[in-house]
Parts: sequence; structure tokens; C-alpha cells
Amino acid sequence: MSDEVSATSTAHGDRIAGVVLAVLAAGAWWHAQTFVTGFMQPVGPGVFPRLVSVPLGLLAVYLIVRPGLDHRWPGAAALCRQLGVLLLLGGYAAFLESWGFLPSTLVATVVLMRLFGASWRQALPYGVLLGLALYALFEFALGIPLPNIPGLSV
Amino acid sequence: MEILAFLAHGFAVALQPEHLLLALIGCTIGTLIGALPGLGPVNGVALLIPLAFNFGLAPTAALILLVSVYYGCMYGGRISSIVLNIPGDEPAMMTTLDGYPMARAGRGGEALGLSAVASFVGATVATIGLTLFAPLLVKVAIRFGPAEYFALFVLAFATIGGVTSGSFTKSFIAACLGLLLGTVGIDPVSSVARYTFGWYELYDGIDYIVALVGLFAVSECLLFLERDRDKATAAMRIGSAIPGMRRSFACAPTIGRGSVIGFISGVLPGAGASLGSFLSYVLEKRWWGAKGKFGEGDPRGVAAPEAGNNAAAGGALIPMLSLGIPGSGTTAILLALLLSMNITPGPLLFEQQPDMVWGLVAALFIGNVMLLVLNIPLVGFFAKVLQAPSWFLMPMVTLVAFVGIYSLNNSPFDLYMMLAFGVLGYVLRKLDIPTVPVVLGLLLGGQMEFNLRRAMSISGGDWSILWSSGISIGIYLFAIALLLAGLVYALLIRKRLE
Repeated sequence: MSDEVSATSTAHGDRIAGVVLAVLAAGAWWHAQTFVTGFMQPVGPGVFPRLVSVPLGLLAVYLIVRPGLDHRWPGAAALCRQLGVLLLLGGYAAFLESWGFLPSTLVATVVLMRLFGASWRQALPYGVLLGLALYALFEFALGIPLPNIPGLSV
Repeated sequence: MEILAFLAHGFAVALQPEHLLLALIGCTIGTLIGALPGLGPVNGVALLIPLAFNFGLAPTAALILLVSVYYGCMYGGRISSIVLNIPGDEPAMMTTLDGYPMARAGRGGEALGLSAVASFVGATVATIGLTLFAPLLVKVAIRFGPAEYFALFVLAFATIGGVTSGSFTKSFIAACLGLLLGTVGIDPVSSVARYTFGWYELYDGIDYIVALVGLFAVSECLLFLERDRDKATAAMRIGSAIPGMRRSFACAPTIGRGSVIGFISGVLPGAGASLGSFLSYVLEKRWWGAKGKFGEGDPRGVAAPEAGNNAAAGGALIPMLSLGIPGSGTTAILLALLLSMNITPGPLLFEQQPDMVWGLVAALFIGNVMLLVLNIPLVGFFAKVLQAPSWFLMPMVTLVAFVGIYSLNNSPFDLYMMLAFGVLGYVLRKLDIPTVPVVLGLLLGGQMEFNLRRAMSISGGDWSILWSSGISIGIYLFAIALLLAGLVYALLIRKRLE
């Protein structure tokens, strides 16, 4: 999935997407050859992926030849906020189990609200409130065991 | 008469207190989600799926909750169209054309009341249609073999261009991408691992729910960050909804026409609610010609698209329930829910689980009445919620989705996967490549391949089995006709835009 991000930097998004998709289709076709067809199977595991990768490749080439209109990509500030949200959520996923649910969620809610334009005075109380509400919703109302803070039973 | 007996049984299921309560909760949440700009029915239902799982709901109960949300979203979408001139979801786009001018002229309450009645009529017409036509379709579909099913999937993907207003090439690219993503994992027939690259987390394939919450909800969150922040929502006097209800009698023929047109476009695979509201509006405008004041606050311009999109929403449930082929983005998500609960919609569902099917249909009737009742007095409340600050709403929605997905499998891997799909969804949407066909491909790919292989093993490897029966040839011809109709429609739209 990482190669899609590269398309964000230019206005020729369609062409780049076309190239990425064409490479993807060719790769899928090529890789499908390694799928071993079992005994007595008229249609093996590689046929359907190849059936799909042909139109995908052709359409991708068409997109390279005849791209659509240019697109408006986000400015630097918006891009920073988007990357910030992705990093925050990625970090949240990474630390959720080692920190425990409550600390990681409280950090996530407050910072996320900041990224969405709240001031500290708004983000701190409401972030804490939202974090606690999520904890109450999932831990008690839904009865789902959430990761505990290490050494504690909350 | 057989249908009436089934329906009576369905009402017995739907009127159980638990189901009634869920329908009420679903309708309320749905209206709220539909009303929030940007959070359309697709996102809303996608967000609630993990919650529905976590509540440990039985399949019937979960389905009742989510279709109530679905119908509720269709009602709610109109509120922000009328009050803020921002469509709450794509099908509500046409409602802005006359709804907002009405609100500016101080007739917002009237527009909201009228559109609530139009939505109610549209949805009820569609639910009656569902009751009558789904069993008929099931009778035909029960004779389908694997080759016919394969043809049906081809039909679904051929008409996919209608789901979205974007370009044909891009819709098909999206569908192929989805189909390809659908092959990731262990192949159930030969046990060969496909495109897993040694990651055991991928052996079960890509989880639909994770993928679609990423594609819709996370990408929405990313898109939101780059939109104008300072779209201040000026407080507007809404006024009473009562004159709108009276007005709806005068608009009855408009509502009737809109409902029928919407229903038909909803039933067509791949067409969906946006087409329903668009066609209803355009045809109504043409019907009145110079006598109407469309675009300047004509009440009929609110009634027609609202009847149309709600009727289409109901109509789209027909192919989803009776064939297992969704007619719209939201029904695709409902299908994902069913598949994750190991329920395969299709003709057999009607035979094996009549409780669920008819309970659902009855719940739709009940939900409709609830929505009408909720929407008349609470319109002011819903309009007020729209003014809650986005710095609170968006993080809340994002984190509910996040924790919900985590709690499905207690797996951080799912979260990374969801973020990856979020980035993919964001890039696709920036490129005007629709995300709904990706989900449809991901969802239907497995069944499509399975039917292809079954047909081929029946014929012993002879490909001509795919077009050897009258039914499958008929389906292919229908697919070609719809494809051409879609192309003409796309050309007309392009001309209109230029």
C-alpha cells in the first residue's frame, strides 16, 4: 500500500496512479504463475487473479494515455495535519497494548482534537472526557476486555 | 396471500421489545449521522458495524439496527442540505437546489416537514415493493446455477458505473482493484496462499470490515483535514414543520412520481440512491417546465428528490437480499455485515431464515413510521447538533471506529491495515476513483470466483458453459444494455456540465 502515497506530490495524479496500477496488474499476473493448480481442477487458483489483472492493466494504461482533470492536492499545512493524524493513529495502535488502553487513548483523544483545530483549553477537558467515555462504553457497556495499564487492573 | 402470512410473522419478530428498541436507536443515530455533513450513510453504517459486533447482537437484531441506521441516514441527509446547503450525503445533493433557497426565505421548517413526508412515502413505497418483488426474484433466482450466478456478478460489475457519477474507466479500475484485493489469502479450493507474501495475518484474507472502515471513515477524516475550517454555520430560524406537512398533500403527485422512479433506479444493480434522487428531480423539473420555480425554492424540488432517494434506498435492498448482490454502497456494507456473520444472502436465505428476512422487512415498515414521528418534532434538535464543533465530532467518530475495529480481534495489525486502507481510500478519492466498487469487488470477488470454478468443474473445463443457458445469455444482454445506458447517461451528464 505504501506506493500510493507517492502520488500526492504532483498534479499529474492520474498518470502516476495509472503507472502504479499497471505495475500492480503486471505484478499480480506474474505472481499468479506461482500458484500451483491442483489435480482435477479445470480452473486453478491463478486463473481468476489473472482474469482480473488483464482489464486492470488495460484500464491503467488507458488512464496513463488519457488522464482526467488535474486534482487539487492539499497544501503543506493540511498535509502536515494529515500526516500528524496518521502518525498519531499509527502510534496509538503501536502503544495501545504496551501502555494500556486509558493512557494511550487519553493521549490520542487530546492530540487528535488539537489536530482538528481545538485549542488546548478545549482539547484537554473534552479529550479527557471523550477518552473516559470510550473506556466506559467499551469496557463496561460492551463488556470488552481492553488492554490494562501494565501492573494495574484498569 | 402467502406474503401476508410471512409479513405477519415478520411483524411478530420486529415487534419484540429488543428489536423495537434497536430500531429506535438505529433511526435516531442514523438521522444524526445522515445529517452530519460528510458522514454519509456508507460511513455511518460502516462505523457502526464494529459496535454491532461488540454488542454481541444476534444477526437479525444487528441487521435491524443497521437497516434502521441506513433508513435514518436517508432521512437525515436532507437536514444539512436544507439548513446548511451542504448535502449530508451524496443522494441528498439534489435537495440543496430548492431546499436551501426555501430555508433562506424563512421556510426551512416547511421544507423539512415536506421532505420528511416525501421521505416517508418514498421509503414506504419501496418497502412495499420489496415485500412484493423480492419473493418473485427469489423464485427466479432459485433456478440459478453457478454459470448464471457468474453472469449476475458480471452484470453487477458492468453496471457499477452507475453507482458513482465519476468516469467509467475509474469505476472499473476500482472494481478490478477490489476483485484483486479479494483474492488475497488462502484460496479455499486449493489451499494455496495468494499474495500473502508470508504474512500469516493475511491468510484469512482482507477483513471486509477493516477495509471498509478504512476506505470510508479514515479517508473521510483525512479529507476533512484539508477542507475549509471556517464554514461557520449561521444559526437560522427553522420555524415549524407543520405547514410542510400540509403542503405535502398538494405535492402528492410529485411525491408519487419520485417514489416510483427512485424505486426503479434503486433496484437496478449498481445504480443506487444518487441516481434515484437525480432522476426524480430532473424529470419533475421537466414535467412542470416553465410553470415550476425549480432552483429558486420550489417545494416540489424538495419533495421529488427526497421521495426518490428514500425509495431507491429501499429498492437497493432487493438485489442485496434476494441475489446477494448489492445495489449501492450502503447495501454493500450491509452485505459485508451478513457475510461476516456467516450468512449468505440469496434465494436460500428466504427459505432458511424467513424470520430474519421478514422480520427485517417489518422492521423497515416500523422504522419508517418511527422516523416520520421522530423527524417532525425533533427537527430543531437535529439541526442544532449540526452546529457541534468539528474538532469534537471528528475525533469522536474516528476513535469510536478505531477502538471498535481493535476490539473485533484485539489485533493491532487490523488497525495498521485500516490505516493503510484509509490512505488508499484517500488517494483514490482525491483521484476521483470511487471507493464503493473497491468494496464491492472485495466483497463479491470470492463468490464470483467460486461460481466460476464450480461452473467450470461441472463442464470439465469448457468455458462455453458460461453462456450456454437462456438465463445467462439474458443476463449478459441486460448487462450490455445497462452498460450502454450508463454510457449515454454519463455523456449526457458531461454535456450538462459543459
